[in-house]
Amino acid sequence: MTVSARAPLDPLGTADAVTRRRRLRPVTPVPWRRPLALTGLAVIGAWVVVAIFAPLIAPDNPLAQKFTILAGPSAANWFGTDELGRDVFSRVLFGARITLPLAVILIVSAMIIGAVLGGIAGFFGGWVDNVIMRLADLVFAFPGIILALAIAAALGPQLRNAVIAVVFVSWPSYARLVRSLVLSARSAQYVVASRLLGSSGLRVLFVDIRPNAAGPVLVLAALDVGNAVLLLSGLSFLGLGAQPPTAEWGAMVAEGAQNFNDWWVGLFPGLAILTVVLAFNFIGDSLRDMLDPRTARAVRI
Amino acid sequence: MSSASVTEPAVPRPRTGARHRDLRRFLLQRLGTGVVLLIGITLVAFVVTHLVPGDPAAANLGQRAIGDPAAVAAFRHQYGLDRPLPVQYVVYLKNLLHGNLGISEQSHRPVLTDLAEYIPASIELALFAIVLSTVVGVGLGVIAAVFSNRWPDNVIRVVSLAGVSMPIFWVALVAFYLLFFKLGWLPGGGRLDPTQNPPTHLTGLFTVDAAVHGQWALFWSALRHLVLPGLVLAIYTVGVLTRFTRASMLEIMGNDYVRAARLKGLPERVVILRHVLRPALVSIITVAGVAFGNLLSGTVLVENIFSWPGIGQYAYHSAINLDLPAIMGVSLFVALVYIVVNLVVDLLYGVIDPRIRLS
Amino acid sequence: MRLNQWLAAGCVVAVTIGLSACSSTSSGSSSSGTSAGTTSAPAVSNLVVETSFVLKTVDPARMFEPTGLMIDHVLYDTLLTYKGSNVSTPVPDLATSYTASADAKTYTFTLRQGVKFANGDPVTASDVVFSLMRTKNINGNPSFLMAGITATAPSANTVVLTSSTPNTAIPAILTNPALGIVDQSKVVAAGGSDAANAATADKAEASLNTTSEGSGPYTLTSFSTTTQVVLTANPNYWGPKPKYGKIIIRNVEASIQKLDVLRGESQIAVDLSPTQAQGMSGVQIVNGASPNLFFLLTNDNPKVSKVTSNPKFQEAVRDGINYASLVQLAGTGAVQATGIIPTMFLGSLPTGSGATYNLTQAKADLAASGVGHPTLNLVYPSDIQVNGISFGTLAARVQQDLQQVGINVQLQGQSIQVALNSYRGGQEAMGLWYWGPDFPDPADYLNFLPGALVGLRAGWVKGADPSLEALGNTASGTTQNSTRETLYQQILRSMNTSSPFMPLIQPAQILVGATSLKNLQSNALWLVDLSELG
Repeated sequence: MTVSARAPLDPLGTADAVTRRRRLRPVTPVPWRRPLALTGLAVIGAWVVVAIFAPLIAPDNPLAQKFTILAGPSAANWFGTDELGRDVFSRVLFGARITLPLAVILIVSAMIIGAVLGGIAGFFGGWVDNVIMRLADLVFAFPGIILALAIAAALGPQLRNAVIAVVFVSWPSYARLVRSLVLSARSAQYVVASRLLGSSGLRVLFVDIRPNAAGPVLVLAALDVGNAVLLLSGLSFLGLGAQPPTAEWGAMVAEGAQNFNDWWVGLFPGLAILTVVLAFNFIGDSLRDMLDPRTARAVRI
Repeated sequence: MSSASVTEPAVPRPRTGARHRDLRRFLLQRLGTGVVLLIGITLVAFVVTHLVPGDPAAANLGQRAIGDPAAVAAFRHQYGLDRPLPVQYVVYLKNLLHGNLGISEQSHRPVLTDLAEYIPASIELALFAIVLSTVVGVGLGVIAAVFSNRWPDNVIRVVSLAGVSMPIFWVALVAFYLLFFKLGWLPGGGRLDPTQNPPTHLTGLFTVDAAVHGQWALFWSALRHLVLPGLVLAIYTVGVLTRFTRASMLEIMGNDYVRAARLKGLPERVVILRHVLRPALVSIITVAGVAFGNLLSGTVLVENIFSWPGIGQYAYHSAINLDLPAIMGVSLFVALVYIVVNLVVDLLYGVIDPRIRLS
Repeated sequence: MRLNQWLAAGCVVAVTIGLSACSSTSSGSSSSGTSAGTTSAPAVSNLVVETSFVLKTVDPARMFEPTGLMIDHVLYDTLLTYKGSNVSTPVPDLATSYTASADAKTYTFTLRQGVKFANGDPVTASDVVFSLMRTKNINGNPSFLMAGITATAPSANTVVLTSSTPNTAIPAILTNPALGIVDQSKVVAAGGSDAANAATADKAEASLNTTSEGSGPYTLTSFSTTTQVVLTANPNYWGPKPKYGKIIIRNVEASIQKLDVLRGESQIAVDLSPTQAQGMSGVQIVNGASPNLFFLLTNDNPKVSKVTSNPKFQEAVRDGINYASLVQLAGTGAVQATGIIPTMFLGSLPTGSGATYNLTQAKADLAASGVGHPTLNLVYPSDIQVNGISFGTLAARVQQDLQQVGINVQLQGQSIQVALNSYRGGQEAMGLWYWGPDFPDPADYLNFLPGALVGLRAGWVKGADPSLEALGNTASGTTQNSTRETLYQQILRSMNTSSPFMPLIQPAQILVGATSLKNLQSNALWLVDLSELG
């Protein structure tokens, strides 16, 4: 569920960031001054390592139903076993292989679709702008989960369809952001100069405006990954995303809801989701602080 | 949609008569856009629900009747499923104009009746959550801004980030397990105790109805039952509002007039409340408004666990059972809430910030 | 400013503490089964039952869902009924006795004298005929129960049921709450009808969902398909007075039912699975096998799949499933299904006569079939549970078992209405489904024979097994119970050797109740008889 204030408010301060700094250098984080970002990066890094090396790290096959059903955490099963006798720890580790790549794919897709549509809307204006923005409003008018629910239910309960549903729900925020950036950049002197020099609209969009737009869009993306993970696991929790026997964190929490007393079944996957989303939010938050001069200035006073 | 930007230069306020005309025009414009949006939503809902490979007749007729072609045909005819899609859509719109949202295929009652029964429960929950989260969120945000960069700020920042990072369905489970089952501090689900009858009906919000009719035992019971689901729902919004309040206030505190107010010798409390918080309320209210809509969607994930008979459960069961009229009814309602909330927020803009009053 | 914020925070904390103080003092006084010295009125004792609602209506002529069955059983009387957990012999209810003709086409019932509805009207034969014909003609879910049957009232005291084909299941069918007897005059006044066009003419559902018009031990006080249903004891009931004056049936998720019954917020939890019920203390657990039967089907239609229609492949699957591990998965109280007829019904095979797990044989069968190592889709409904067991859990285990045999199964869980389509259309190569008995009689299971309702769903067409079909025809015309038993057992043995169906398990049906409850018995048809509780 993306909470985004409407375009005129621009809470991220990103439009101003664009106008104040003409050509933005790609921002390199300054980790030793930002403990939050450092923590976030470390956690995500750890999860990436887990995701890549899960087959080597995990003590058991996540699909093997060979242990006692619903056994509590022990030396053999650090996180206990679930209702089919599978090792929860291994399943949590393997869950990273589903959630992390899908979240990234999801956000990148939404970002590209949204940025392209928003850029076109902002640059060409007129009825194209109207159509695209009305479509974005339409999608915005449905709170994320309900539309995603309807789409996933319509297309069938499958992880792929859940991803499609979340992409469909996420692209408007990028479209709006890019549109407002393009609108403010359109009248900037370097763009006018570029057009006077004979660049076509598309060239201006891609060569001149895109580097300036990249920063705020990336910040939004970083802040949005967390929401994407929440939405995706929420759909799986409802039974509309990952299907058994896939070890996906949201589906595992749903299993935990069936067996309240066996608290380990639902607790650890939920913690996994929490750490991943928290880490992404740390990173995004710090990125935004770095790019927003006014907040940064206020912070350093 | 008319949009006013904070960064545009202020225009001189028009005279009273013109201002009222502007207000009327603004309202009409927004109303128009709202209607178009609603129609668009019916279209989206219609298309999405008819993409489904499943057959509503199969879902709603039951194991035996489905084998009987006559019963299936009767069902399809009764719900108009045997006509071509565009015709179905037009019929739906026509009925909509008469206030008829169709008959739910699962409950066999008018969708409007179903909605009227479930909406108040969710509204009560969402209102409780939004009030709670606004009080707590704004409060924490103010503290964070005032103590910015010192330890209260850092702690609050981490806490609010944690708030928006928690999967709400997981929090619901943990909270339910701890606070109800292990500690017994709060009741476990439902809007009232099982043996209690609902208060005399007025709005459908049990706390309000009970208070209005002086049924205080019911009032306290309803309130107690609101706490757990309300807390869970509020966590995300508290996180959002805290971050937002902090950011807005810091942005404003960097302004010259704030420094001027301090130099004038005004007490810090006045500076913060009147000169910083008040302008920040503009953006805070927007976010709160949007959050209200989000709370409604949060109910989908949470109502099941708390046996809360609201829109979230209804939406979920409708989606699963392919109850097309119900799905469209819920979508329309939710969209309507969004549009109304946005409208109210825009109007409040004008009240709170004179600079942007319909410039 | 700081002061204000701290004040506000302080208020929030104070309120929360106050609320929790309130809750801890009053949670003890929420009415429980024993009305010992609490604040509630001494005369009325309340019972809270929690179940996960499968409920659409309590109009008997339209009702055919588990929760509806439980509720209508105590709102309405039927001609015959079952006592406790015994579902093999119907006992008299509104009918004191009956006779059956030799050809099983005519049944004559003598009604009990002096029975009145809750509103005081006397129960007559015409009420009975009206109710039965109304259920038949409304064409709702339970109408199939009266298929081919007509009811008449030759005298004020006698009801005759005539069936166009021999129907040995009629006594069992009549126990179903969907054939509960309603007050004709009141229902007609509310727009009800039993005429041939009742499907469109009858408008009494809304009224019956507000006020029940029955003669049972309870009447309907409030009804909702999502929150709770409240029943009040009928002071004019002709039978033994039920113990509880008020019954509240709440719609709650299974996992929460567990917590509620442990904390005493409810007295009966209906939907717990064996794993959930494991290790619960301080409550009584009633555990028995459910008549619901999970089975695997492999499509016999070569057009759907050349692999699954291969008889040797079907044998390989039958031999390749580890039934014991499935039973263990389903928990204590679950049993292996010995045949397609559940163990508690007439005609079922004794324990131990079901298919046996033989991995070597299965591999040999697969090799003999010539299909190599096939990959197949297994379709099942992913979003419903039966007796606390989700299909996905069973399917995952079956997948693992068949993997060992050399059959590659891809799980294809779909939401119920999507899965139902391919199931009913006979289009699934492999499916994992369940059958809940329509009535507690083996005749219901003739649906699995070639050319019958469920047989067709597995692509088993008429003529696929002529000797089996002949057995089925004989069985449906035999009224003598001992002969029926032999016949049905023969049918089951034949199906266990070769058929597209592999019966898997009967899950456990578990009732968890407060220790103060007496006579808590689990019933295969209506889950629990709320009026028999002590």
